[in-house]
Amino acid sequence: MEPSILMAPGASENGFASMLATLLRQNLDERPHKKATFARMRGRVAIVVDDIDCAVTLVFDRGRLTVYDGIYGIPDATVRTDWEMATKMSLVELEPRLGLPDPRGVVAREVAEASRSGALKVHGLLGSLPLMLRLTKVMSVVG
Amino acid sequence: MAYKFPSEEWTQAFAAAVNDNEIYRTHGKPWTFGSVAMVVSKDESLGIEEDTGMILDVHQGECRGATLVKGMDAVADSPFVIVAPFARWRQVIEGELDPIKAMMEGKLKMSKGHLPTMLRFVQSSRALVSSASAVPTEFPS
Repeated sequence: MEPSILMAPGASENGFASMLATLLRQNLDERPHKKATFARMRGRVAIVVDDIDCAVTLVFDRGRLTVYDGIYGIPDATVRTDWEMATKMSLVELEPRLGLPDPRGVVAREVAEASRSGALKVHGLLGSLPLMLRLTKVMSVVG
Repeated sequence: MAYKFPSEEWTQAFAAAVNDNEIYRTHGKPWTFGSVAMVVSKDESLGIEEDTGMILDVHQGECRGATLVKGMDAVADSPFVIVAPFARWRQVIEGELDPIKAMMEGKLKMSKGHLPTMLRFVQSSRALVSSASAVPTEFPS
């Protein structure tokens, strides 16, 4: 099944939502090996970018993603960070075998450090770890 | 001497500023993905009577040429097209607005292009656009 990525009504007005939808669509086209991971994703992730007063919610449903403007429903996980770190989330290096964040990667280390320092917070991480790891994998443009 | 923005003279000065930008030369070295068009949306109140594009023929950290064009059809062959109103470009040129942040805020729109590539080249994209800050610029009022 081909991935389906849709914008909820009004989401196209949100620049970050449009960027994320475009990024995921083009990344899956360019890197078809990520499609199987995308097809397994089910759940709701909110990304809140505090310094630009922007939030999006990604609702994954086994091969179908709908991108919403703002917080929509009750997210399984919520990421809070600033715009620079939000950009870096798509640049996390992945180790090739399992597609997990590569601890040797420069950006992967920066994101981990941001997580330790509180510059990037993930609420609900423990309960949605597989979903978040898959999100990292399908978002990454470098692995 | 200040160059009127947008104009042919400004576009050529911008190309020269890109080539003078050491950061762009370094980070843009692997760029082989084609030209980048920056389009100022039509605004008759400012004398910009058509969408006006500056096409930068960038390749491997160098700007091989730049062209000022009118109308969106004229940028159709550029693999990357970024569109914004005059006021947003002015903020970018004056260094008040980061181009990547502006895209996230919806202030600059990439109407055509491969976003994963743009993000992989985030530092060179930023350096390319911020080269404009080095151009002495006269803005219409």
